[in-house]
Amino acid sequence: MSDLESRIADTMLAKLRERDPSLGPDDLARPVADLDLDSLDLVELHQQLERELQVKGDLKETAGFAFLEDFSTYFVKLASRG
Amino acid sequence: MSAGIVDIATAKPGRTIGNDHFAPIGLTDEWIRRRSGIATRSWLPDETPLAEVAAEACAPVVTRMADPSSIGALVVVSTSVRQRVPGIAQKVAQLVGLGPSVLAFDMNAACCGFVYGLVTGLSLCDAGQARSVLVCSVEAMSRLVDRTDRQTACIFADGSAAVLLQDRAEFEGSRHTAGCDGSQEGLMRETDAGGIHLDGMQVYDRAVRRMSESAQYLFDHGPAPTVLVGHQANGRILEQVGSFNAHLGVPFVNRIENSGNTSSASIPLAFAGELDAGSLPAAGRLGAVAYGAGEAWGGVAVDYRLPAAPTP
Repeated sequence: MSDLESRIADTMLAKLRERDPSLGPDDLARPVADLDLDSLDLVELHQQLERELQVKGDLKETAGFAFLEDFSTYFVKLASRG
Repeated sequence: MSAGIVDIATAKPGRTIGNDHFAPIGLTDEWIRRRSGIATRSWLPDETPLAEVAAEACAPVVTRMADPSSIGALVVVSTSVRQRVPGIAQKVAQLVGLGPSVLAFDMNAACCGFVYGLVTGLSLCDAGQARSVLVCSVEAMSRLVDRTDRQTACIFADGSAAVLLQDRAEFEGSRHTAGCDGSQEGLMRETDAGGIHLDGMQVYDRAVRRMSESAQYLFDHGPAPTVLVGHQANGRILEQVGSFNAHLGVPFVNRIENSGNTSSASIPLAFAGELDAGSLPAAGRLGAVAYGAGEAWGGVAVDYRLPAAPTP
């Protein structure tokens, strides 16, 4: 895992643990629908990743992601563009 | 000499609605609190005229004035007043005993209305067009929402608040920022069938960004506010804006738990609530930021020095 992916994973895990402190890195692979996240949590995650990586994403794209891994892929691509 | 806030009063004459009220439409207390941070809100009786509610907020301020005839303008802000002709500002002026020479008019900028009304009132004072200006927000959002709509029924609420503006030698000049984007009108709008359509995720995202940017602007231009009061839209939005603005180092007011979203009235109601609770000093500099339908956004920084014990 690259440093960038690691920062993204840390941010996502912190978001998950706001709802359930017992969750761990393995839970990042679960479908969003199986996690205790509501639609506003996903907006918050989007904004937190933007701030962490200093990039501007498109909520219309990320709002439909079915897996947290999709966030990682999306933001890695954004951040890599510089 | 610059204009600032010299008095404030509120009116919440409705009945308290708890979260259990929404059980018949499938909403639980836990869900509402998590989604909005709201536990109770006030709803006015359907038959209560909004002009009377606005007058109830304005009356204590007028009564406390040594010379009420100095009020040269009354701005009544509302997005939920249903009667368009005539507007209600003139009726409010009559109910609180203002003279016939008052410039009284209605204003609507949805949830951003108080910021826009405040900017307008401060401009009238600073330009010497009025020695005193009353700015009153009054809302009955419970009449605008579809009370069976699970997304919006539990969010919106009713209430009124008024501030008195005057020039004072001790006041630093106010500063404001404002903007609008009509291409986003679909994000929040009244529907033909009744009720309010709300694109929750987009509104959340844009509200956080706009209010955070407005707050930063106020700190970057002119004297720094000593307190920030954001439009009390939703507890989650307030938490996020508060988090984004933590570096500014001033209190960010969140009183939505027992107020709900009272649209344009939410900022002065929250500000007055903090003052009444003794959480803020009677003098300082208010930074008010808002985001609302239109879309419209803005912020204003204004000095305030209030009577020792302002009464609600």
